[in-house]
Amino acid sequence: MRSLKTIRAGAGVLDGSAQAADVTLDADICIIGTGAGGAVAASIFARSGKTVVLLEEGGYYTSADFTARERDTEPRLYQEGMTRTTKDAGISVLQGKAVGGTTVVNWTTSFRTPEDVVDHWHKKHAVGGFAYADLIPHYEAIERRLAIAKVPYDSLNANNRTLYDGCKKLGWEVDTLRRNVFGCLQSGFCHLGCPVNAKRSMLVTMIPDALDAGARLLFRARADKLERAGGAIARVRGTLLDAEGRSATGKSFTVTARRFIVSGGAINSPALLLRSGLDSGGLVGARTFLHPVIGSSALYDEPIEPQRGAPQSAASHHFAHRGDEMGFFLEAAPWYPGLASTAAPGYGSSHADFMRQVAHTATHIAIGIDGFHDDLPGGRVTLRSSGAPLLDYAITPKMWSAFRFAQKRLAEAQFASGARKVMTLHERPVVLEGKLDEAAIDAARWEIGCVPVFTAHQMGGCPMGDDPAVSVVRSSDLRHHTIENLHVIDGSVFPTSLGVNPQESIYGLSHLMASRIAASK
Amino acid sequence: MSSVESKVAAPTTSRRRVLKLGLAGGALLLLGGSGLALYPPSRAGGAPTAPLLALDGRAFQVLVAVAARIVTAAGADPVAIAHGVDRALSYALAETQSDVRALLGLFENALAGFVFDLRLTPFTRLSPSAQDAALESWRTSRLVVRRTGYQALRKLCLASFYVQESSWPELRYAPPSGLNAAAYDDPEIGTPEWIEAQNKVRGS
Ligand SMILES: Cc1cc2nc3c(=O)[nH]c(=O)nc-3n(C[C@H](O)[C@H](O)[C@H](O)COP(=O)(O)OP(=O)(O)OC[C@H]3O[C@@H](n4cnc5c(N)ncnc54)[C@H](O)[C@@H]3O)c2cc1C
Repeated sequence: MRSLKTIRAGAGVLDGSAQAADVTLDADICIIGTGAGGAVAASIFARSGKTVVLLEEGGYYTSADFTARERDTEPRLYQEGMTRTTKDAGISVLQGKAVGGTTVVNWTTSFRTPEDVVDHWHKKHAVGGFAYADLIPHYEAIERRLAIAKVPYDSLNANNRTLYDGCKKLGWEVDTLRRNVFGCLQSGFCHLGCPVNAKRSMLVTMIPDALDAGARLLFRARADKLERAGGAIARVRGTLLDAEGRSATGKSFTVTARRFIVSGGAINSPALLLRSGLDSGGLVGARTFLHPVIGSSALYDEPIEPQRGAPQSAASHHFAHRGDEMGFFLEAAPWYPGLASTAAPGYGSSHADFMRQVAHTATHIAIGIDGFHDDLPGGRVTLRSSGAPLLDYAITPKMWSAFRFAQKRLAEAQFASGARKVMTLHERPVVLEGKLDEAAIDAARWEIGCVPVFTAHQMGGCPMGDDPAVSVVRSSDLRHHTIENLHVIDGSVFPTSLGVNPQESIYGLSHLMASRIAASK
Repeated sequence: MSSVESKVAAPTTSRRRVLKLGLAGGALLLLGGSGLALYPPSRAGGAPTAPLLALDGRAFQVLVAVAARIVTAAGADPVAIAHGVDRALSYALAETQSDVRALLGLFENALAGFVFDLRLTPFTRLSPSAQDAALESWRTSRLVVRRTGYQALRKLCLASFYVQESSWPELRYAPPSGLNAAAYDDPEIGTPEWIEAQNKVRGS
């Protein structure tokens, strides 16, 4: 294979911002979005001899751009310059935008989809197109290519080790994580794009695989609309963007193809379908899930230095199944000054004091598992007047109740691992000295704008299933129920959230489905 | 909480209530949009030192005043912070940019100040302690749109300051420089052949 640098400079790579005229392309298969779903599919199609065009709204950044500085990277690598929120601003939405999609900025935690989740889909969401066993060889192929391996306890940084130790001490299930890295220097900057190409993101694996096999890529190209001719999609039209992705250049593109794969990720894929008049009777955009997250900070006597080392390397699923209540899982969150400053409570001198304690502060998070209860129905993507997506997602009473419970468990784990002081991230933080005070946590203000809630895992909105009354694409090959040359392959096809970090679920499903599509006529 | 707020907000945060407040929020932001036009420039200074990308001069000036209260850490320069916010916003949707401009207008708007806090002076003309009181009123408001508006300005200002290298010594934060230089120059790194070769080295 040619080197990454040669591939990036190759004739098959077109920079939308540099085009002096409108661009017209044709291919067997056009893939919109180059993240977890789109990149894996592209590599399979290109290697099977199909001509492939990949479209990506974001820039083609590489490790040369990944300076480990938030200022250089966050506005460029995240949707809406990292200002995306839900409609009522209750939840900050972290989601990637670049060649390689969100995998460029993710924290490398790698889980296969839990078998009981797939079972649930079979039973409750009419997902009959594949058995769990069908996924296994595809997970294995991905795990080889992305060098996914479990990290040893000894490699945990103090931020993760305190979570691990606390859970162990309390007798809770906890384990070290599997990560998609090779030759990781533990620099800790996964979130800003890996500066040393150790993260096996789509940017350095499946995208170059696809390009090396002849696929073409047009980046800084936002797909606006799929246009129909009869019962099929004939073309996709879109807008070329300037080098920073901030505004349109005035030039446009059109891609004709025999087959279209929508891989823009949750929120964005439903938006493209909605802009194209394909709402599947109101199903498109509904049931969008977020794995909403709350955090807890803890002060230790020992140095924590949360900015050093692999950002995420331990997790507990002890509270994943809570019957009628919303389950959640526990992980650690990395620390970067800009991002951390927005989660730290208050302003002025109290905020500055909080920030100065960083060297001894650990931050652990509880990640809510939405979509498995009738009163956790997720959100709905609609369109703004400009055509950009807007997600209306209500934090329901059941969710607030789970957050309260989770906040207490986080504090328990932190005290069990030796924390001197635990602080919630409420605007008026609950400060616990030495021991858990459940009443104080209950008394805190659990309302929008009083406690930060964020999401890094967007799922759903174009659910798969075999019943067109409740699903948008069929589960045997993720083909649209009524348009035969249109597929959706990304995190938006999950009928619920996953209860684990999503990337490997998307890679595995994409690998299976693209292999099936490539083998079909 | 002001009497007006208590009339607008019921003590419940039910979904219906939040949505209603969201609509009220839309109206509030419209009021904000008009606010900047109605009032003379502040005496507080805070003019931009470089061309603006997303804000206009009036909104910038209010933001400088807000930043001066939000970020009081050593070395904080409100004008530099406001320029950082302006740059960050230039990557946001046009709708978000105009919401933030309207929000700043609402902060400044004396009519809104009167409705919520019985104050008639624009934000930029208040004393620092009165500005803190105004911020506090937004922060603890029963109206979702005021709390989230406060949060938006708070986060934008803080992030703008803390992504600057000048804020890091205080935190003893020193990310490496040039870590990325070598990786991309290696012509083979990342290829399947490279991984296989590395695996062999590891295995041996
Ligand atoms: C900070 C952070 C940390 C994370 N950490 C982990 C982790 O440790 N483990 C894990 O499993 N998951 C993690 N995730 C989540 C995971 O990376 C995503 O769930 C996954 O990448 C989603 O894959 P996808 O294919 O659905 O979409 P994405 O990977 O988001 O790719 C979609 C791409 O399509 C592009 N696009 C969208 N619309 C259009 C359009 N109209 N035209 C052209 N292009 C378009 C987007 O710009 C984007 O690049 C993390 C996410 C974040 C934000």
